[in-house]
Amino acid sequence: MDIQGWMLAVAILLPVVAAILVFLIRQYQLRGLIVILTAVALIVNSIYFLKVGLPTEYTPENPIWGTIITVLDYAMLLFYIYAGLSLKNWLVLIFALTQIIPLAWWEFGLGASHALEEIKPAFLIDNLAVLMVLVISIIGSLICVYAIRYMYDHEEHKHLEKSRQSRFLFWLVLFLGAMNGLVLADNLMWLYFFWEVTTLCCFQLIAHDLTKEAINNGARALWMNSIGGTAMVAAMIYLYYTNGGNIEYLTLSNIIASGGTEAFLLLPVALMCFTGMIKAAQMPFQTWLLGAMVAPTPVSALLHSSTMVKAGVYLVLRLAPAFNPVLGMMVAVCGAFTFFAASVLAISQTTGKRVLAYSTIANLGLIIACAGLRTELAIAAAMLLIIFHAISKGLLFMCAGTIEHQIWSREIEDMEGLAEKAPLTTFITITGMLSMFLPPFGMLLGKWMALEAVYAVPLAAILFVLASAATMVFWAKWLGRLLQVTPKLGKKIESLSLSYSVPLWSLFVGIFVFGIGIAPLYDRFIRGAVNNVIAVQHAFTEGWQIVLPDAATALSLEKGVGLLGSYPVVALFIVFAVAIVLPLLFVKLKPQELKPVYLCGEQAGDVDTDEWYAEADNVSKLELGGYYYKGAASEEALNTWVYVVAIALLVIMFGIVLGVSL
Amino acid sequence: MSDQVLNQVLIAIIAIIVAPFIGGLLAGIDRKLTARLQGRYGPPILQPFYDFFKLLGKSKIATTRTQFIWLISYLVFMITCLVFLVLQQDLLLLVFLLGFAGISFVLAGFSTKSPYSHFGANRELMQILSYEPILLLFALAVYAQNGSFMISTIMENSTPLLASLWPVFIAVLVALTIKMRKSPFDIATSHHGHQELVKGIMTEISGPYYALVTLTEWYELVLVLGLIALFWSNPLWVGILIALAAFILELLIDNINARLTGGLMVRICWAAALVLCVLNILYIYFMRGVA
Repeated sequence: MDIQGWMLAVAILLPVVAAILVFLIRQYQLRGLIVILTAVALIVNSIYFLKVGLPTEYTPENPIWGTIITVLDYAMLLFYIYAGLSLKNWLVLIFALTQIIPLAWWEFGLGASHALEEIKPAFLIDNLAVLMVLVISIIGSLICVYAIRYMYDHEEHKHLEKSRQSRFLFWLVLFLGAMNGLVLADNLMWLYFFWEVTTLCCFQLIAHDLTKEAINNGARALWMNSIGGTAMVAAMIYLYYTNGGNIEYLTLSNIIASGGTEAFLLLPVALMCFTGMIKAAQMPFQTWLLGAMVAPTPVSALLHSSTMVKAGVYLVLRLAPAFNPVLGMMVAVCGAFTFFAASVLAISQTTGKRVLAYSTIANLGLIIACAGLRTELAIAAAMLLIIFHAISKGLLFMCAGTIEHQIWSREIEDMEGLAEKAPLTTFITITGMLSMFLPPFGMLLGKWMALEAVYAVPLAAILFVLASAATMVFWAKWLGRLLQVTPKLGKKIESLSLSYSVPLWSLFVGIFVFGIGIAPLYDRFIRGAVNNVIAVQHAFTEGWQIVLPDAATALSLEKGVGLLGSYPVVALFIVFAVAIVLPLLFVKLKPQELKPVYLCGEQAGDVDTDEWYAEADNVSKLELGGYYYKGAASEEALNTWVYVVAIALLVIMFGIVLGVSL
Repeated sequence: MSDQVLNQVLIAIIAIIVAPFIGGLLAGIDRKLTARLQGRYGPPILQPFYDFFKLLGKSKIATTRTQFIWLISYLVFMITCLVFLVLQQDLLLLVFLLGFAGISFVLAGFSTKSPYSHFGANRELMQILSYEPILLLFALAVYAQNGSFMISTIMENSTPLLASLWPVFIAVLVALTIKMRKSPFDIATSHHGHQELVKGIMTEISGPYYALVTLTEWYELVLVLGLIALFWSNPLWVGILIALAAFILELLIDNINARLTGGLMVRICWAAALVLCVLNILYIYFMRGVA
């Protein structure tokens, strides 16, 4: 086996082996050690991928792997049928049957299985795949490390008699292997297999706590993603038969190489794109991701940042070169609509994790819209957004979990004045939130690039604009609740367990390192990955002279050059330092300068108290609440419209595709 | 090359020094003119500066340290926006920065456990929700017209933006009303004593830090008027005259209108101003398609 083989084995099989070990070992320390060692191995291995000459392909020589995958495919689908029957959830059952029946009919009924073994290559390692492997392996591993301690605390709090941590860590670690396989696979059959494994892991993790709500939400995630699986099966069978029983187009690379010129490829591409959009929780399928937050927080962190939903956007991004202009435009509008609707809905959410979930859905919409735009700039924006969103959201969810384990609540209102109770966690959380929309950080850079790229589709541009305004509002509202403090000096800084603090600080540092180092990151890596996506799409490789990172060139005007825009990264980080870091370090207050707030003279007691004379001169505690604009932005008020528009957009998309391909 | 950089730095420094003087002076004119419109004699034109220095000399009082940090970042981000404008940088990025400056101010309001401050902060957020899309669409319209987001391209263009972007211009005037805190859109706080007894976010801000906020508002005024001047950038003096005319117009509007509610402001901005922008942008695309 050559070097690629070994690296693939570490990326995909090591998590599987580790997962089994973790499942078998019932001792807390040893289990934790295995998770940590696996994390280290995955991280080192993923970085080593950068050293291989890219792109390169690999197909395991032994045909046994193909057989194993086929067997496991059917095992999983049979399990779904079992799950549907035992939960009496008919949707799960129906969408399991819609996958297994056509698949079995195709492979065995019509005897295609022999031909399918010949598909090559199994894996394609290119810059885009490696980018995803890095995100999955590094951020995903950190979340697994975080989960060691989190699940311990979680079960302590729940007073479980029998520990189920082993089972939890099993699915969590397995997830990483499946994701690595998914982004590296080129053979559609293998892609489908890994796709189903992620769906299965997701179901098991969401349902982990075995409450009624958890099981229901898990089942919802399962049937919705099974619709996606069904679409993928349909796409594969269609690809096989319209091409006269030929396996030529059963690899991603061949589909992409067609460059959107083959009319018959358009329908399967649209179907797979639809599969990706379901996994990325795009409207109208957002409810599975919203329901997923009943699971313990490491699950949310993993689903939202580095796995699951990122698989969805990855597939859409991967297929982007195979869109024709109309399909691209429709994907862009669908994504932009989700970006807009989710951002507005986030304003009315009162639960922290729900705000995060809507924000994820919104950003995934933005990434998918960028994939639909298909210009070099847009694709680059999508990749930057994937990286920075994974870092920031991973951090934010871990913060949400840490907060939850300090105040035992997920409600934003309960986080009131958290800066007093847990200053360190609050500090990291606030930085994470700022990194989602503050100028020098990567997310804003991505959003800015996306907006500069979106001009080709005016409708999407307008939705982008409205969405980015709403984004600011919901983050500011939440930030405001955290910041609110009573006048008091000297706070006690809480201590965090290492299993919490190492992942938190790693991502915290990551935000700054990648934010500042965007120039080399872009030049050495993203540009190559963009070329992976765009290379066959000559019509779209027109130059965009955007001055990205260098402060000097951005500050010195190059007149006459057709400059699209400029984003002086270094200069903005200096501004950030002057605006926030320096005041944070140097603004000091003396005790005598601290005064109680203005309450029209009704203040009761001293500076430190927040009591006042309410009606009939009763001394009561001052309570403030946030605004949630339930009338205008709540789910009750908007959901009908959101569903109507989202479904209409999908119908139009498939209508156009069918019109073109038939 | 280094000469050019030096030149740029010089321009930035001059802008940072001069802008508050212009802003303060405009604030003085504002107060005088408003007083006359209301049948009062009014303070001297230089009164804002007297106030400013008096505030600076007062002792520092706070309800929380965090508020100070956000107020400083409000000022720094606003100055950055101005520097972006005079160095003719990316308009879209400028709008993002301006948006975050506004958010800093909101966070300053949220940082303290004061009911009035929170009222103000929530209303300020609604203002941001109202004007931010208008300014972003302004940047997009400039792109549709010029094929670039750089302010330098606007400056080089000989045909004024106003010719093709007059609907956007009207929308930006609405944003100006909000930014200048003038009726009918002075939702969060107002400069007039008669509008409110407790002054929103400003409630907990006093002394030198109040001076800081005043300074920031001056920068903001110059910045927004500068953005309006971009509508006629060649020759620039016409644009500046237009901006001044817009300023006087705002004062008139301020004095003949009463404050609206926040919800109505958002609705008017999204329904009227945004639609103007959108139609304008679509028209430009349509005409390009026809050509």
